Amino acid sequence: MHISRKILVFALCSLLLWSCRGDEVIYPTIGTHVTDLTGKGGLYILCEGNMGSNKARLDYMNLEKGDYYSNWYGAQNPNQLKELGDVGNDVQQHGGRLYAVINCSHKVEVMDIQARHIGQVEISNCRYMAFHGDKLYVSAYVGSVANPELLGSVYEVDTATLQITREVKVGHQPDELCVIGDQLYVVNSGGYLVNQYDSTISVVDLHSFQEVRRISVGLNPTRLRKDDHNQLWVCCQGNYKDVKPQVVVLKNEQIVHRIEMPCANISVCGSTVGILDGENKALCSFSTADYKSLSTLSLSTYEHPYGLLLTEDALYITDAKNYVSSGVLHCYSLTGQECWTAKTGDIPGHLCLVTGAYDLHGDTTHHDTTATYSPYINRVYEFVPGMGQFVNELPKYEEGDDAESMCRKCEKAIANNAGGMISLGGWGGYVTFGFDHAVENKEGRDLQILGNAFYMTGSDEYGSSEPGIVLVSQDTNGNGLPDDTWYELKGCLYDDPQTEHNHAVTYTREGDTLQNPFHKHPYYPQWLTADEYTLNGALLPPQSAKINNQNVQRILDFGYVDNKPNTDLEGTSFDLSWAVDASGQPVTLEKVDFIRVYCAVDEILPQTGELSTEVAGAIDLHIEP
Amino acid sequence: MVRRKLFIFIFALCAVALFAEPDTLYNRFQIEEVEVTARALTKDVIIPQTLKGAELQRLNALSVADALRYFSGVQLKDYGGVGGIKTINVRSMGSQHTAVYYNGVQLGNAQNGQVDLGRFSLDNMEQIQLFNGQKSDIFQSAREFGSAGNVYLTTRKPYFKTGERVHAHAQMRFGSFALANPNIGVDVKLTDALSLTLDAEYVYSDGKYPFRYKRVLPTGETAYDTTAVRQNGDINAVRTELGLHHYYRTTGFWRLHAYNYWSERGIPGAIVNNVWRNGERLRDRNTFVQGEWQDEWFNRWSTRVLVKYANDYTHYWNYDDRLLPSNNEYLQQEVYLSFANKVQIFNWWDASLAYDYQFNTLARENLLLEAAPEHFNRHSHWLSAATAFNVKEYLRVQASVLMTQITNHQSPITNPKITPGIFVSFRPYPKIDLSLNAFYKQSYRYPTFNDLYYTDLGNANLRPELARQHSVSLDYRIQNSVFSIQTSASYYYNRVTDKIIAYPKGQQFRWTMLNLGTVKINGVDAKADLSFYLPLRFVLRTRLNYTYQTAIDITNPNDTYYGHQIPYIPWHSGSVVVGLDWTSKRGDHYGLNYSFIYVGERYCQQENTIYNYVQPWYTHDLSVYGEWQLRAEQDKQPVWLKANIEINNLLGQDYEVIQNYPMPKTNVRCTLAVRY
Repeated sequence: MHISRKILVFALCSLLLWSCRGDEVIYPTIGTHVTDLTGKGGLYILCEGNMGSNKARLDYMNLEKGDYYSNWYGAQNPNQLKELGDVGNDVQQHGGRLYAVINCSHKVEVMDIQARHIGQVEISNCRYMAFHGDKLYVSAYVGSVANPELLGSVYEVDTATLQITREVKVGHQPDELCVIGDQLYVVNSGGYLVNQYDSTISVVDLHSFQEVRRISVGLNPTRLRKDDHNQLWVCCQGNYKDVKPQVVVLKNEQIVHRIEMPCANISVCGSTVGILDGENKALCSFSTADYKSLSTLSLSTYEHPYGLLLTEDALYITDAKNYVSSGVLHCYSLTGQECWTAKTGDIPGHLCLVTGAYDLHGDTTHHDTTATYSPYINRVYEFVPGMGQFVNELPKYEEGDDAESMCRKCEKAIANNAGGMISLGGWGGYVTFGFDHAVENKEGRDLQILGNAFYMTGSDEYGSSEPGIVLVSQDTNGNGLPDDTWYELKGCLYDDPQTEHNHAVTYTREGDTLQNPFHKHPYYPQWLTADEYTLNGALLPPQSAKINNQNVQRILDFGYVDNKPNTDLEGTSFDLSWAVDASGQPVTLEKVDFIRVYCAVDEILPQTGELSTEVAGAIDLHIEP
Repeated sequence: MVRRKLFIFIFALCAVALFAEPDTLYNRFQIEEVEVTARALTKDVIIPQTLKGAELQRLNALSVADALRYFSGVQLKDYGGVGGIKTINVRSMGSQHTAVYYNGVQLGNAQNGQVDLGRFSLDNMEQIQLFNGQKSDIFQSAREFGSAGNVYLTTRKPYFKTGERVHAHAQMRFGSFALANPNIGVDVKLTDALSLTLDAEYVYSDGKYPFRYKRVLPTGETAYDTTAVRQNGDINAVRTELGLHHYYRTTGFWRLHAYNYWSERGIPGAIVNNVWRNGERLRDRNTFVQGEWQDEWFNRWSTRVLVKYANDYTHYWNYDDRLLPSNNEYLQQEVYLSFANKVQIFNWWDASLAYDYQFNTLARENLLLEAAPEHFNRHSHWLSAATAFNVKEYLRVQASVLMTQITNHQSPITNPKITPGIFVSFRPYPKIDLSLNAFYKQSYRYPTFNDLYYTDLGNANLRPELARQHSVSLDYRIQNSVFSIQTSASYYYNRVTDKIIAYPKGQQFRWTMLNLGTVKINGVDAKADLSFYLPLRFVLRTRLNYTYQTAIDITNPNDTYYGHQIPYIPWHSGSVVVGLDWTSKRGDHYGLNYSFIYVGERYCQQENTIYNYVQPWYTHDLSVYGEWQLRAEQDKQPVWLKANIEINNLLGQDYEVIQNYPMPKTNVRCTLAVRY
């Protein structure tokens, strides 16, 4: 008995050593200061993670502060069910958004530029992405319909709706792809067909979305990049036996050069192509003009060189180590001096440079999982001005701009407290913007929208007022896009019998003849591809008067943008409780995701031209700056 | 003179076997002429962990894998559900260092070296034993000296009382996840010496169990909380077994055992973001026939012959339209022969010599690529010599040496490997069953066909992986009419070198197998089996197990995981089983059994970072049973009715043994059995 008691005591003691199970806490985000050397913007690092581990991880490096955040996506999206997913395969930015292909989660994750979830596109076994205009093209190892030849597909996705619009069947296991003109090129690796690798590029015509031809390049092509001369650089892996790997350069679909070397990764910047030789552990640079070797950077200390990004001021190369433990991100100067390194997640494979440098709230050396929100708008979704004298000027249109790039220009002017201004042009012209969060409807005014109105000296009744009506909307379909029901914030003239609620104006390119002597440029928005467009909304009664020989407007009581000076907080702010639906019935909105302002007056004054609402930013009044 | 002639005969046989083709060998072993009787040394040099008979039936366990969780030093890998793969890892050396023997013959899987213990039902099982190092008795086949940990599964043997000719049982089990599990068996006494057993079982489960993923923010707020149902975890399996036992003399017997298992199942797969269902399917058939013959001559000489033929078919395919389809067939065949002899030189000294030969083939066919099937084969020879002796009553020593020669298809022929083992047991007090046991053993884990020839990944130049075990233990047993106690505490130090691991090649995601890893293992096992025979025919049984181990990777100091605990090895683990049995005056039995299993924190990858951390899990299981004698007249064979209800994971813990493979919440099983 004596001994058994001892054993019992021992067993009880060992029970105390055991720890209990607690709540499963989401994976933390860990910020580490890795360098005092600073660059510009930030860098996203997509770590693939091994198949079945669900450990795809999006890390972020703030290059301006030298802070590396592991699991940045987790901090931005703590509620995402089962995190980012299984096997990250590509990350790119486009139109102010971040896109990541999560191969074994069969989705393209769509995020805002700070990696906050917007939506996802379900594509089975998706591999790589390319963008063209407002379309996203995604290669996938399987098509939507199974086929006995095991051919893959390329999908076309509308970035506005995140819906798949078209699909084309290509070759075996298509990987990287890119667009030149109106042709899409995708490599068919055949990587799953051991000893029967594919060796072609499929050319897809973007109008018909049909495969028009195949170009034979070399066995097992996996990577494909476009350079500054519209040449295609293709990495062919060979068969790992007698057929050696090679890099093939194509110009106008003809092979113009071959380099016999292994290629683990490739990156193009300006007129330089960097090729990562995984076997001999080196980065070899070539000129896109004459394919001559420019330099070689030895990476002999690496275990497995894997990811690569060449930028205008630095080289980023990752070491994937043994693929089942954390990797390392190395940064080099353009002369090949190592600047700093950072520990990444498992298999850091894909890098994406962004212009923004972001922080998570709090001390970066500690875990933190919630980002603070900015009180300023951060995003412009749409910008469609009415025809007018400041159109193509505020912001400035340049050759090659499209709707997306004009939105980015608007962001530069008015987002993040930039202090600039945009003009909505003639009646009906609008801008749609949002914050990095939803604006809550709380007690009192919720939102201030800035303009450039002012009182006439000595008057508290007249001044420069170019009123715009505010519409708000909730992202009820959850796609992150302003395509949901709009509600008007009811201003003081809403019930005025002279207000015309269902007004519409069609602007045409032909009718662009209004130019005044001060603005000798087209008034029609030059980035619009259509030759006419129609705007709808309410038209407020004219308020202009001539006082002391000045053209002035009566300042309205409340509820309009660009009506009272920005210094008048109450006069420029809005209460979400004012919202009414299309029939004028009040609606209760707990919060709103999108805000639209449109020019609600249609008057052309001598000398100063048409009245047009200006927007200079907006502020969420519930958040401390 | 006679003895010397016999020796020569045995050596000649071994020599023939070494060079002969398997077919001719088979015939030679039909000889039956020698006659020796030898007495085994009575006490164990290596004390096994044992679960048998009623104790085994009382556990909340459906398969052998479930039962092995109650042994110390054992880590079970369980992918969840009735159909999920279950393998064990003894003392952290890796599951392929553990050999599993079914009625004395090793179960093989030359393809991947893994034996799925979830397939072996407890219904036909009489005893499960785990030996660290090797079996105590040196009278064993050569191959049995070759593995680091040995699990022996022994199926039901027929026992007939005087006048009984037939035993039969029928059983039905129902449970959660649509479990239906009927089992029938018959034992027939054909003659006084010859008996036959038949056992058949069917298992069905739809595998649809609910599981929950809940995560919270550091503030305690819920981040997400979702419950889903496991899909594609269904299983249909049929097992049939036939045994023939012929005890023609007190010392001599032969047995024949035929086994067939057929199953079709879904592979439920990992639950990852946006993937809640997978489409992989597996169909397999395992068939083997094995024979055993044993006899003794001159009271000193024992001979045992084992023969086995196994034929295993596996068909794996994937109909998940999100993945590239796959469709592969594998056919494995195995021929095995063993010839073991033991001689008692003096009554304190035994020696044994054994020779085994095995031939394995694997045919692999990718049905999608329409390529010609690939064939691989392997010849294995084992030759063992062992001796055991006693020094008075104080000391028992066993020493063995094994020579292994394995020749793989396409691989270079290597020199035979020689591995020693030495086991010592010291009993200071002859009257007290207290012993200090120690052993040192080397063993090799040979590369499997997958390691060697997996498409584009295999490496035909692999060396076997070496495990060196050092172990000391203190064992104490005492038994009287009031209680019985068996306790043991062990310390072990193991070192695994040349560990075979998948390692990436220079090119992207192309892996190869290399002899790269080194692991150092330190552990302590403590266990106690306590039974108290209480008044009023109550018996209280308690079984306690605790293991503490560190298993650290010391491959390369430059690795980020150098010095880290290897994946899925918890520092702490253990179990507690408490059972209360009561026998009525009439002879009916009632019992209540509670068990608790704990597996402590561990990491799911080599690197011990917070991103790879896995929480502890522990389950409480409860079962009640009653067994009633329906016909209790004298001199008539009794009929028993038994009912059993098990509740597993009583508190409904949402846990994972392997990350992303959720385990079932609370589940129930009911069994009703009639035995004649």
